[in-house]
Amino acid sequence: MLLICGTIPLDNMSVITGKAQFDNNKLFVENAEIPCTQGTAALISAACVTAQHLKSSPPHVILAGDTGKGKGSHLLYDYLINNLPRFHTDVLLMHYILPIMGQMKNVLAAKAKCKKKPVLMADASSMYAAKAAGLAPEFDIFTPDLCELAFLADPDAVHPAYIKHHLFSAEDSQAKDLIGAAYKQKGAAKILIAKGATDYVVEKGKIVFVISEPDIPALEAIGGTGDTISGMTGAMIDAGMTQMDSAMAALKANRKAGELVNATPATKIRQLIAAIPDALKNLL
Amino acid sequence: MLFSKKNKTGFEGGGLVLFQAVEEAIAAEKILKSGNYDVKLVAPPPTLRKGCDLAVEINITEKPGIERCLLSKDANFAEILPLKGAGELLDIVKVKNFDNACMIKAGNMKLTFDKKTGMILNISGGGCPDIPFLHISMLDKKLTEVSSPKKNGYTLCALMLDRAFTEALEIWNRRNG
Repeated sequence: MLLICGTIPLDNMSVITGKAQFDNNKLFVENAEIPCTQGTAALISAACVTAQHLKSSPPHVILAGDTGKGKGSHLLYDYLINNLPRFHTDVLLMHYILPIMGQMKNVLAAKAKCKKKPVLMADASSMYAAKAAGLAPEFDIFTPDLCELAFLADPDAVHPAYIKHHLFSAEDSQAKDLIGAAYKQKGAAKILIAKGATDYVVEKGKIVFVISEPDIPALEAIGGTGDTISGMTGAMIDAGMTQMDSAMAALKANRKAGELVNATPATKIRQLIAAIPDALKNLL
Repeated sequence: MLFSKKNKTGFEGGGLVLFQAVEEAIAAEKILKSGNYDVKLVAPPPTLRKGCDLAVEINITEKPGIERCLLSKDANFAEILPLKGAGELLDIVKVKNFDNACMIKAGNMKLTFDKKTGMILNISGGGCPDIPFLHISMLDKKLTEVSSPKKNGYTLCALMLDRAFTEALEIWNRRNG
């Protein structure tokens, strides 16, 4: 089972949990429609269409409403920590949740109680919390963009807003240096899926896959294009693919989907998600 | 010791609100607790001390919301800093031009607007829970017609988005002023 945890931009929504479904460009969790926007909703949607393509089970999700005040994130952490050991989770994917270092440590303690240890993925603020708490090497997969790679490489930064200026100034051509520094500082997960003009898949510090074609610069501007990579990767691992094969296929599919929709800076993430099944047809 | 207490309570926020006087710290703790923030009175490290040997530990990610909460109650404080590093927020922005659009990058946030209409086309990057909310609030609206993300956001991601937004608005106003 792929278990996705994250918040969605709704006030007054407590924790909801259940199977996710993506039909006619709409996302549903246990019959409740979730706005398909950038963030965890985009990630879940991409995971759903990937699971459908691979004829595997849809993702199970734990969501809470949070517009930034943190209440939903606290509820979500508490629910996950209390319930994770009773779920039969193969892949745990943590996403948009207020980064709380102590709670991330508690999540790992809950994971240690699971009979079968799930593959542990973190993207967005969950990756920030894991790195800031010194837990990065405990994770199997992180999915940083170039700025987030600089954050993982900065031993002092507790959030990307505090990375050192020279690290933020790094260009795409310096991604390899940042990758090396991130592993040296123990700021990286076992596998990094580093996203940029050129994407990298890195295992334990060694770059094993590089892709820069098709070159679609507009993808960087479209909110949610990193979320879709994480969602596809999680769904592919859950379907039985290796972590490395999943990472590579997700990067290829994201670029292909961008090509299929003729992505421009105005393209919305729901358009890209709708193209993922066709993008996957040529790959898997 | 600051860190020995943390392990007992489980709270590890990574940031401090610093004060000139003890009573200011105590008042701020009360205000923030009533605002539902997880906070704790601690002794700041000597290198960060600003005149008073009491500080309020906070989750540094919530800096903008905490600052707004304290200012709304006229609370006095000297500074809000992360426990590690130089304590300077990123103030560099990068600009990338597409044919009809302009993308501004500030830290981990990117805002893209239409050069002809000033419409916000996309917001990408970031990871804190207020970003999808701000994304929905600002998308497909004109730069000149939306509130600054700093007003409605609570986290450092919102602060970075605010820097991108401010730069985008300046570029737009320069071209159309």
